[in-house]
This record gives sequence, C-alpha cells and structure tokens, in this order.
Amino acid sequence: MSIASFLSPATRESVAPPAEGVPLLEVRDLSVTFYTPRGTVRAVRHASFTVRRGEVLGLVGESGCGKSTVAFATLAYLPGTAEVGGSILFEGRDLMTMPAGELRDLRGSRIAMVYQDPGSALNPTMRVGEQVEEVLHTHLGLSGQAAEERAASLFESVGLPNPARVGRRFPHELSGGQQQRVVIAMALACEPDLLLMDEPTTGLDVTTEATILDLVAELKDRVNAGIVFVSHNLGVIARVADRVAVMYAGQIIEEAPVRELFAGPSHPYTAGLLSCVPAPVNETGLMPQLRNIPGSVYPASEPNVDACLFADRCPMVQDICRESAPPEIAANAEGHPVRCFFPERVDSDTWGEPTPRPRKPRSTNEAPLLQVDGLHQYYGTDQKKYIFFGPPSRRPVRANVDVDFAIQPGRTLGIVGESGSGKSTAARSIAGLERRTAGEVLLDGEPLAAGVGDRPRGQQSKVRMVFQNPAASLNPRLPIGSVLVRSIRKSRGIGKAEARGIAVELLESVGLDGGYMDRRPRELSGGQQQRVALAAAFAADPELIIADEAVSALDVSVQAQVLILIAERQRREGTAFMFITHDLGVVRYISDDILVLYGGHVVETGPAEAVLRPPWSPYTEALLSAAPVPDPDAEPSRIRLEGAVPTLRQPFAGCPFAGRCPRNLGDLCNNTPPPMRVDSADPRHQILCHIPLEELAADQRAAMRGRSAVGETPRGR
Amino acid sequence: MARFLLLRLGLIVVTLLVISFAVFGVTEVLPGDVATQILGQGATPENVAVVRERLGLDDPWPMRYASWVGGVVRGDLGESLVQRLPITEMVGGRLVNSLILASFTFFVAMPVAVAVGIWAGVHRNSFGDRLASMFSLVAISLPEFVTGVVLIIVFSTTLGWLPSSSLVEPGTNPLTRPQILVLPALTLTGVMFAYVMRMTRANVIEVLETNYVRSAILKGLPMRQVIWRHVVPNAMLPTISVITLNIGWLLGGLIIVENVFSYPGIGRMLLTSIQTRDMPLLQALALLIAATYAVSNLFADLAYTWLNPRIRFA
Ligand SMILES: Nc1ncnc2c1ncn2[C@@H]1O[C@H](COP(=O)(O)OP(=O)(O)O)[C@@H](O)[C@H]1O
Ligand code: SF4
Ligand code: SF4
Ligand SMILES: [Mg+2]
Repeated sequence: MSIASFLSPATRESVAPPAEGVPLLEVRDLSVTFYTPRGTVRAVRHASFTVRRGEVLGLVGESGCGKSTVAFATLAYLPGTAEVGGSILFEGRDLMTMPAGELRDLRGSRIAMVYQDPGSALNPTMRVGEQVEEVLHTHLGLSGQAAEERAASLFESVGLPNPARVGRRFPHELSGGQQQRVVIAMALACEPDLLLMDEPTTGLDVTTEATILDLVAELKDRVNAGIVFVSHNLGVIARVADRVAVMYAGQIIEEAPVRELFAGPSHPYTAGLLSCVPAPVNETGLMPQLRNIPGSVYPASEPNVDACLFADRCPMVQDICRESAPPEIAANAEGHPVRCFFPERVDSDTWGEPTPRPRKPRSTNEAPLLQVDGLHQYYGTDQKKYIFFGPPSRRPVRANVDVDFAIQPGRTLGIVGESGSGKSTAARSIAGLERRTAGEVLLDGEPLAAGVGDRPRGQQSKVRMVFQNPAASLNPRLPIGSVLVRSIRKSRGIGKAEARGIAVELLESVGLDGGYMDRRPRELSGGQQQRVALAAAFAADPELIIADEAVSALDVSVQAQVLILIAERQRREGTAFMFITHDLGVVRYISDDILVLYGGHVVETGPAEAVLRPPWSPYTEALLSAAPVPDPDAEPSRIRLEGAVPTLRQPFAGCPFAGRCPRNLGDLCNNTPPPMRVDSADPRHQILCHIPLEELAADQRAAMRGRSAVGETPRGR
Repeated sequence: MARFLLLRLGLIVVTLLVISFAVFGVTEVLPGDVATQILGQGATPENVAVVRERLGLDDPWPMRYASWVGGVVRGDLGESLVQRLPITEMVGGRLVNSLILASFTFFVAMPVAVAVGIWAGVHRNSFGDRLASMFSLVAISLPEFVTGVVLIIVFSTTLGWLPSSSLVEPGTNPLTRPQILVLPALTLTGVMFAYVMRMTRANVIEVLETNYVRSAILKGLPMRQVIWRHVVPNAMLPTISVITLNIGWLLGGLIIVENVFSYPGIGRMLLTSIQTRDMPLLQALALLIAATYAVSNLFADLAYTWLNPRIRFA
C-alpha cells in the first residue's frame, strides 16, 4: 500500500483549508512565566516569529534561553503553573484557547515533536513498533496488519536497518541514533504539517549526529511540513535551517535567512555565538585559539527590565542600553529584524582578539607524569551455558585492550572516540575506580595500584577526576562552598577564612560568583554544576586531572570560557590533563597529544598537530569529517559511519574498525590484525591500519581539496 | 529463562538447607530436655533413658540432623511430642486454613490497593487522594494486634455483626463459614494495603513525570491509553518489588492475626508448639514458613522479570 492511501479522506479533508496567506504557525508576542515554589521564572519574554509550510526555522541560543519552552508551548504542553501571554496561532487558530479534545487531535497528527535524549522519550517496557502503531491507531484508525506495515514503511523511510523486524525491539536494544530514528518515525507517522525538533542530535555522537542531520535535510525536501529545529549548535543549524531565529533570555534578538545571518550577524550576541564555533578542520588541523562570551545568560529569575538584557555581556554596551530596551524590531541594513541599538556597528572586531592557547613547549627528556603500558580492562567474567558447565554463553566485555599512552607534566592528552569506544573505561582505570584487568601504570615513576583504595594518600591526592555527570562528583547535601573549602584546607593546610577566599576565587574563575558558595548542587543547572565540579577538582591542587566529557554538556560560549580557563590554569600551575571528549572542536583546542580509541583499541596516537593532519587513520578521518561545519554553503562531507561501536565480547579477528570502515580492504582487514604504522615525519605519530600511511595521506589530502573547492567559500569575516 | 529458573530453584534449595540447619541448631541449644518434657518432672532416670534411646537423642547431632532432613525430603516431618501424631497429618489442614486467609488478603487486597494507588497517583492532590493518604497513614502506624482488637471491639463486641473468634469446627474448613474470615483478613490487610497503595501512588506520580509519558501525551493519545499502556506497566515494576518484600510481612502478620482471632492456622500452631515445647513440630513449621516465603518470592521475581524487558532479554 502506498503511504498516501493510508490517509483516509476523512482525516485530511475534515480540516478546513487555511485562508490564503495565513502562515502555518504564527507566534505573537509570546510570554511564558512559570510560578514555582522557588520564585518566578520568565522563560519566554515577548517572542514573535512565524513558520511557513516547507521551511525550516532554526531556533538557536544558549541553554536556558527558552527554546524548549517555545517548542512545548507550540504543542500547548506546559505545566499548570505556567502563565502564557500572547498567542500561538496554528493555521490561524489559537492553540492556547483550543478545547482539549481538538488539541489532542492535533498532537501527534498535525503537530509532532522530536525530542532531545531519545532514550528517555521512548517507553522502556513497550516494543518500539507498538509505540508507532498506537499513533497510527489513534489518529488514522489503523490497526493489526495495516498498522504494522505502515510502521515498517516508516521505519524504512527513516533509514532503520531491517525495517520489518525492528518494530519487535525494545528501546534499550537500539543504539542512540536508532532510537532517535524511531522517534522521528513516530513523529512522521501521520504526515504532520508542523514538526518540532528540540535538540534532536544533542547528546549523540558526532558520527550519529551527522547521519541524523542527513535524514533531517532529506525530510525537508520530502515532507511538505514546516519544521522548527531547536539547537544550541550553530554548526548544526547551518546544515538544516532556511531561516534562523536567535534567542537570548527569552527574547528573539535576531532573525534572518541562514546565509545572511552567517555572513553578517547584526547582533553582538549572534556574532559572539558564531565566533565560538570551531572552524572546520583544514590542513593545519589544530585550533590554536578560541573565543568566548564572558558571563552567563541573563537569568530567567530576573524581572523584565527596561534595558537591553544582553548589556552585562555586551562588548559594545553604551549608557542608552541600560536605560531603555532596544526596540522590538529594528531592521538592520539588510532589512532583517534585530534587537539592538547599534546593529551596524557589529563586525569582526566586536569580540576582539581570540584567546590563544598557551602551550608548553615539548621537552624530549622530561620523564612522563603518567605512563600506561598494556592496559587491559575487561568487565564481567565468562559465563557458561549451564551455570558451571558447557560452552561459554557470555564473554567479558573487552573495554580496553592493550592501551599504551603517556602524559608529560603540564600537558594535555585528549582522548577521542565514539561512545562505547572505551574512553571512560580508560579514565576509570587510571583513576582506580575500576580495578584494571592487566597492565602497568606509573605515576611519577611510582607504580599506581589498581584500586584507588590501595593507593597511598599522597598518590590519591595527585589524581582528581571530573565526571560526565557532575552530580557524580558533588555531594548533594553539602553547600558548594564547604566542599571547596574543605578540599582547599586539606591540600594546603590553611585557615578557614583564607580558604574561603580561595574558594570564591575558584568559583569566579569558572564563571560563578561568590553567591554560589551557599547554594547546594541541586539548585544549579547542569552547566553550573559542571563548573563547580571543575572548581572542586582544582581545589585539591592535583598533578593530573582526568576530565571525562567534562565540558560536553556546556554551551559553546560557556565551554569556551571553561576551556580557556583550564588552559590558563594549566600554564600557571602545571597541571596535566587527561581530557576525554567526543567533541573534536574541544580536542583540537585543548590537546597537546591525542589518543584515538575505537572498540577498546588505540587506532591512532601522537602529538596533536600530527594527528590532526593527514595521514589520519580511517576512523579519525570519519570522526573529523562528521563534525558539523558552521557554514550554510559547506558541502556535507561524504564519509558517514552507520551503526555504532560493536559490543566487545569477542576479540576482533582483523582490524577493530573493519565492520564500519569506509576504506575496508576486504579479507585482509577483516581477518588480519593491522600493524601499528609509524609516521616517518614524526615517529611518535602512529596509526593502526593496513593501508600504508603515504597512500592514506595522499587520498585524504585530495579528498579535502575536492571538498574545499566547493565548500569553504571565504566568509565575510 | 530456563537457566534463570534453574539457578533460582538451586538457590531456594540452598536457602532451605541453611534454614533447616539454623532451626535445628536453635532447638538444639534451647534449654530443657525433651525426654523429661515428655515424661513430666517426676520421671525416673531409667524411664528417661529409655525414651532418649527410643528418640535417638543420644546419637551425635550430625546423625540426628541427617535423619531429620532425610525424613523431610521423603515428606515425613516427624512426630509431634505432645499429640503423638505424625506432623505431616497435623499440618495439612492447618496449612490450607492459613493459605485461605493469606490468599484472601493477597488476591483481594493487593489488586484493590494497586487500583487505589493508581487512581490516587493520577488524581494527585484531589480530595480522594488526600483521603486515601490519610487512611493509609493511620493503617501503617497501627500494628496488627491493635487493629485486630479495635475491629473486634467495634464489629463484634459492640455491633455484634461478626464473630470475635474464628474457631473452625473440626472436619470443616473456613469457607463453610466465610464470615469468620472477614475480621482476620481485614486486620491482615491493613498495613500491607497501605504500603502497597502508597508505593503504587508514588511510582505512578514518578512515571507521570518521565519523558516517555510526555511523548505519549504529545502523540495525542487519549488519557486512558496513556495511563494504562504507558504509566501503569512502568509504575508496577517497583511496586512488585515492594509486594515481594511484603510477603515476609504478610507471613509475620498471619501469625499474629491467627492468634488474636484464635484462627486454626499454621501461625496459631506455631505459637502452641513453642508454648508446649513441641520441638519437632516447631522445626517443621519454621521450615514450612521459610519454604513458603522462598517460593512466593520466586513467583514475584518471575512477574517482575516478565514485566521488565531489560531483564527478560538480558
Ligand atoms: N516547568 C518549568 N518550571 C519552571 N521553570 C522552567 C520550566 N521549564 C523551563 N523552565 C525554565 O525556563 C527557562 C528556559 O528554559 P528552556 O525553555 O528549557 O530553555 P532552552 O531550551 O533554551 O534551554 C530556564 O530557566 C528553565 O529553568
Ligand atoms: S543594545 Fe546595547 S547592550 Fe544590547 S546588544 Fe546592542 S549594543 Fe549590546
Ligand atoms: S585496517 Fe582496514 S578496516 Fe582497519 S582502518 Fe585500515 S582500512 Fe579500515
Ligand atoms: Mg532545551
């Protein structure tokens, strides 16, 4: 059956065609205020925008700017304590005053949503097929075989492997990318007219993000819907949006067609956001400098004031900005709306010079601070079919296999790889949270015991860890200040008052003011918690900080602040870092050396400048080319990795990457472990691959030039 | 799955072995000589020796333990010292009586508790929810013997609607006079009902706030379907764990309630066996109760596994 025939005439034609010229969605002067026990939260302050059929509106801004609230308001889904002002017109009808029954008919059928964190958006106890079929049943009256077939065709249309069978799976049996495809299929089930996508790729691996963005870009042409695409990442927005609305503190501060916005931002905030995004990888690889927007978003707890809400962070601020609010819409020279008194003054110098990363010159004879040889970390043990006997039914997970690396004092080792590639395992082994299966680890030349509890106190305080989830490193019951003070006093043996002073300084250095000393972790946002966790790690004055995805949850602007701060601190105190991230922009800025992991194996290692230049291992190449490019005209790169890192219960017969490698040579790669090849230009640079490095380098250079000829048009600024 | 069952059954056997050992050990160290007990204080040493001989009390303890366990495995629980009857025969009818009372509580009260919990969670802070919360708080804070006595005073002594003691004519079973079941069952239900109700309510409220329930609502599903297909199955997972934990409680409560109402079940028999120092009976009953506990736990775990696909397919 064709898709069109599923849609019974009754479903479609009962809807009166909207009058000519009425936009699909018109948000007029929307305000959303939450009244919570802790005070009033002004999430959206007088925002207006429209979306037309067939176009993608990108909604961008730092977290807490009100983007998600706008998206949920568009489905009239707000908690009872919310007060909504203004109107949200869907085909001219106000959703806020619509009867519940009609609203329910619209939801999931004509207006559908795709969420951040697909894993939590799917019911864990229900097969994914059923979750799609119930939409078909509710809105189109399909059931049984017809619903199943339609679900399968939807699964096929979003590129899920094995569409006829995938519906029998439960969410936890799918990878993050597959889960998001299911959620997208669910949203497309009734061919909606308006599709809301709230950070659909945030939290996914770059490689997965790239494939999901391909799907969205393709949907844009295929479905005749209006799409609101929410993201904090301008690189992602550049790839999919036709028009962009930039949000700040609940207001829309600039709105423009995507090319116009990227070529000539007219609001200092937009210009700042753009300058924070890492530039695409070129032949030099490194990203030696970074820009940031100081401070943080104007808090939603603050009242509406008669001033520019961006004034405290704006480098161009004038007296008038604090005395009156810039007009709702002051068109700039190109004619697009912008909320600033001086749009014509915004240019490439607005944010001054970027901060270069201070680098410690490499010394050849310095002993490494941390030396890791042959690290193996297996989780679980062999399980036999009949409890004690029979063939093995389950093998341990080989999360790290023969991993070697070293970190010199005062330098940073960046560890990259997709989720499941063994990065966090390496971190946890070194930190002693997991007892390693085998391998030798030396800290300052002294052996480091496998378990943190077996290490002498002195060694323990030399290594600190900052986790992906900041809640893991903070005691929820203690005020932040007392955590910091305690750890400062312990490591430096100083008085309480003095330690308090240092604690306030530490907090300020991570962008939080002294007022946070008395707050408890759960009162802070995720980003703020993570900054506190970093401050707490600094407080102990360690020699090595292991940061596991420590900045991944932060907005680019805040991320830049934190990275600059880390680099600065490293130069002053000589702290070494083991910096784990899936974000290549971060790695390119922060790393002195890089270790690329895949499937628990090291596939490439070496000094950052060598690793980031061709030759790359085919895996590194795929990672680099998946990173979204903040340029609407950039040609998307061809290399795409489907699927996910395989489960690691079996040793690999050949190359660990063989199953997904775009350059796979066939039999050789599948069945013979590749050699660790040494780069003749720099012997510390090593790549695990069957293909000779000269050949790799030549191929990769050619591919890059081919792409930049189309893509990297010189930008205006 | 088969593997899981096998493992669990093995575990139950081990548990029971350990318990049998403990039970045997405890009765062994209790003061008082069994032979003297049987014959009375005035018995001559010769008579005592004969009885000891007959009961095998002079054998070393490992041998006595082995013969006891061997008997249990063959279905022979030994002979009661007081009544001089095979325990297997004595226990049979009593066990049925207890099971009737417990099942009544378990299969009537639990579903109602779960249903009320779901309703209260969905209609959080409504009048009905507050009422239910209040009642459950009262029920939780009162121990069984208090509730039992209060119920007797109200329904039996004052109103005269129901009998205060639940004696059963020999040769009949409680179902022939179901009115005697009402008060013990109500008493037994009280605390457990409140626990399960509150737990269900809390879980429903938590699940209502998850992202997948938000997805279900924003798919435009009718509220009824959101509740029954998305909220309830997920809220039941932790509830089942609580019910499992409560099985032990139910068994403990059973013993108290049977004694308050003189109901002829295992619990009453247990108390009697302690009072009369009927060691073989006591040992058998303790073992029986432990086995019931282990097996019902297994069933609860199976239900949990069946509801939770993460475990089911792991
Ligand atoms: N249900 C709610 N109750 C109270 N505050 C909320 C609620 N939802 C969002 N907020 C607050 O509203 C502000 C905007 O949040 P959000 O719309 O999620 O922004 P974004 O999507 O841009 O990150 C934040 O300060 C957030 O904490
Ligand atoms: S109005 Fe003033 S403070 Fe606001 S963005 Fe423009 S220049 Fe900056
Ligand atoms: S060895 Fe083969 S499969 Fe492995 S990275 Fe090289 S080309 Fe790809
Ligand atoms: Mg958001």
